[in-house]
Amino acid sequence: MITTMNNKGASLKGVLLVFLLISNMFLTKKSVTSLPICPSGSVNCQVSLGELFDRAVKLSHYIHFLSSEMFNEFDERYAQGRGFITKAVNGCHTASLTTPEDKEQAQQIHHEDLLNLVLGVLRSWNDPLLHLVTEVQRIKEAPNTILWKAAEIEEQNKRLLEGMEKIVGRVQPGDTGNEVYSRWSGLPSLQLADEDSRLFAFYNLLHCLRRDSHKIDNYLKLLKCRLIHDSNC
Amino acid sequence: METFSCHWTDGDVHNHTAPRTMQLLYMKRGDEEWKECPDYVTAGENSCYFNTSYTSVWIPYCVKLANENKVFDEKCFSVDEIVLPDPPINLNWTLLNISLTGIHVDIQVRWEPPPTADVRKGWVTLEYELQYKEVNETKWKELEPVCSTTVPLYSLKMGRDYEIRIRSRQRTSEKFGEFSETLSVSFSMASEAVLCAEEIQFPWLFIVIFGTCGLVVVMFLILFSKQRLKMLILPPIPAPKIKGIDPDLLKKGKLEEVNSILASHDSYKPQLYNDDLWVEFIELDIDDPDEKTEGSDTDRLLSDAHMKSHSCLGVKDDDSGRASCCEPDMPETDFSASDTCDGTSDTDQSKKISEKEETLLCLDQKDNNKSFTNLDDPANQQLISQSEDNQSRPPFADSIESLSPVPPVRTQLSNQSSVTNIDFYAQVSDITPAGSVVLSPGQKNKTGRAQCEAHTEPAAQCQSNFTMDNAYFCEADVKKCIAVTSHEEVEPHVQDQSFNEDTYFTTESLTTTAVNPSTAAEEASSSEMPVPDYTSIHIVHSPQGLVLNATALPVPDKEFMVSCGYVSTDQLNKIMP
Repeated sequence: MITTMNNKGASLKGVLLVFLLISNMFLTKKSVTSLPICPSGSVNCQVSLGELFDRAVKLSHYIHFLSSEMFNEFDERYAQGRGFITKAVNGCHTASLTTPEDKEQAQQIHHEDLLNLVLGVLRSWNDPLLHLVTEVQRIKEAPNTILWKAAEIEEQNKRLLEGMEKIVGRVQPGDTGNEVYSRWSGLPSLQLADEDSRLFAFYNLLHCLRRDSHKIDNYLKLLKCRLIHDSNC
Repeated sequence: METFSCHWTDGDVHNHTAPRTMQLLYMKRGDEEWKECPDYVTAGENSCYFNTSYTSVWIPYCVKLANENKVFDEKCFSVDEIVLPDPPINLNWTLLNISLTGIHVDIQVRWEPPPTADVRKGWVTLEYELQYKEVNETKWKELEPVCSTTVPLYSLKMGRDYEIRIRSRQRTSEKFGEFSETLSVSFSMASEAVLCAEEIQFPWLFIVIFGTCGLVVVMFLILFSKQRLKMLILPPIPAPKIKGIDPDLLKKGKLEEVNSILASHDSYKPQLYNDDLWVEFIELDIDDPDEKTEGSDTDRLLSDAHMKSHSCLGVKDDDSGRASCCEPDMPETDFSASDTCDGTSDTDQSKKISEKEETLLCLDQKDNNKSFTNLDDPANQQLISQSEDNQSRPPFADSIESLSPVPPVRTQLSNQSSVTNIDFYAQVSDITPAGSVVLSPGQKNKTGRAQCEAHTEPAAQCQSNFTMDNAYFCEADVKKCIAVTSHEEVEPHVQDQSFNEDTYFTTESLTTTAVNPSTAAEEASSSEMPVPDYTSIHIVHSPQGLVLNATALPVPDKEFMVSCGYVSTDQLNKIMP
């Protein structure tokens, strides 16, 4: 009997170990950044701002990379010979948010404002990304890589938004502010019957996504350098 | 610090009268109308330069090349998409390590990002691509783009000079900027001693050599597939020689070889006989009956005197009829085909005892049959005369050999020579295909009591090709031997000489001795009986011997006849108590 108990104990330990390993795998797969030091829900534990910014920068870097790749793939596959690029003057829905247009402007703007702008852009993309994931699946013979990237971007954007809200909460405590964001109304265009028009709508959306993710990435890196390293990066 | 410039080519402009009137118009998103290029000069010919004030990142621009009202080309872009960074600066390298052979070198190349790109603050994220080549080469080798400002370069060759250059691009862009200045890396100074031609070229020489060898081997095999040559080169491994003779030889009837083999076999020494036809008579030495009859024939026969069996069946063939069985100094003689005791020369040692016994039994029956039929047959005479028939002998020989232990008898036989001026032994003249033995008729006055040494080999008969465990002996010899040994409590079965008048002497008649010493006595008395030439073997008491078909003994001919074929010893045992 004792031996069986021992075996059971050993097997339990083994199962637990395997479970831990697998869960770790899943966690690392999901998360771009490392696991939070503070378990969720704890009040007194505080991740440093620098750590928060590090994670935010990594996420934005990743999102921009994915968007860029996704756009390139889409462009290669669907947009060749259609002359989409000449038409891509159309503004993005986030154009209403006046963001700095060069480095000087970005350095001059107040960091709080910039943070709020970043939040605004991120919020503005919540809805479009959600619809992008569903609508891109309806594209005829959409490659798996595009589908996967859309889903990944959507999820990472949510996490980045959460992180940024935390950062803003730290940097500007108590300042709820206006939740400024641009509403997106491009859903009908993604559902057009005409394939050309529909594909152009996607092209436009992806183009805007690439640009905005680049903006966010640059802003956050600037902010990180400015706030964490005191401009001595 | 962002600026950008547009360049255009003339293309079809030659046709135009006024090429200089080319205009580049641009429009930012949010503008209502096209504006003209602010600077046609700074960036060179056919270019338009936009300085920082005109540069807005992430804002879509459209530019068009127009001449008066004619639009030649139009393009829309945003600045972040067309970024081409300046080349990196301050390239240098450091030695990582040198291989053990001293032929290869690893180095680490370092550089700095272009100063115009604010990589530090993260405003621009750059990728770098390194290219290198040997000085005398024309094609550059490329490495994968890296994000760091340092990269290792492996397996450079000592003794060569290299050139390195780097270019950069924005991370998510596709176009690279200009190349940096070329960095020269020189190893030729340090490697004067080491000049190994390390590059191994395709080993044609080895391939040719090995291919030739392979072809030679194949040719060799093909050519030498002929049997004869094959035998020469790859002689077959001789099959293990068992004591005795290769059965194949016997089957083929190559008696000469068999004889030679036997001759060479030590154990057969005493049994070898010369080519003389063995005579009817065997002179038995009776000088030392005690000495040699110790351990009576019966005993010897009974015992597993396998070894003796080998030695004792040879009986010297002598015209005079004198044969001394088992004389130690008996000269080796070859078994010849003429030996009546074919069995000895052709014994098939591989045959098992049981087989022999069966053969013997079978012989008996057949002989019985044939004997009757052949009594009056002239054929019989012919058969008898076929003393030289080799082929028929082997079976008989086998049968004879299956007769069990004669060896002890042999010595006795040798002793008692005088007794026999009888046809104690019958010459096997022929062996019928059926397996029965044809013996030549012997003289009538046989004294059955010739002390036959267990070795009952009448003159050259029964040479024992002893099988491993059996002694062959000719019927006649056995008869005689048995008769002789009967004196010594050898089974008198032998004597019984119920010698049939058959011309055939069946092996059955050679009841071996020693089976029933008790019976020996009673049969001893019958020793005075005229010994017929042949005695049918009645029973085979394997492995000890055969029970001759003594007149006293019932001859269950029927049974035998029924089953011939072969009568197993079990059957025999049933028959005979």
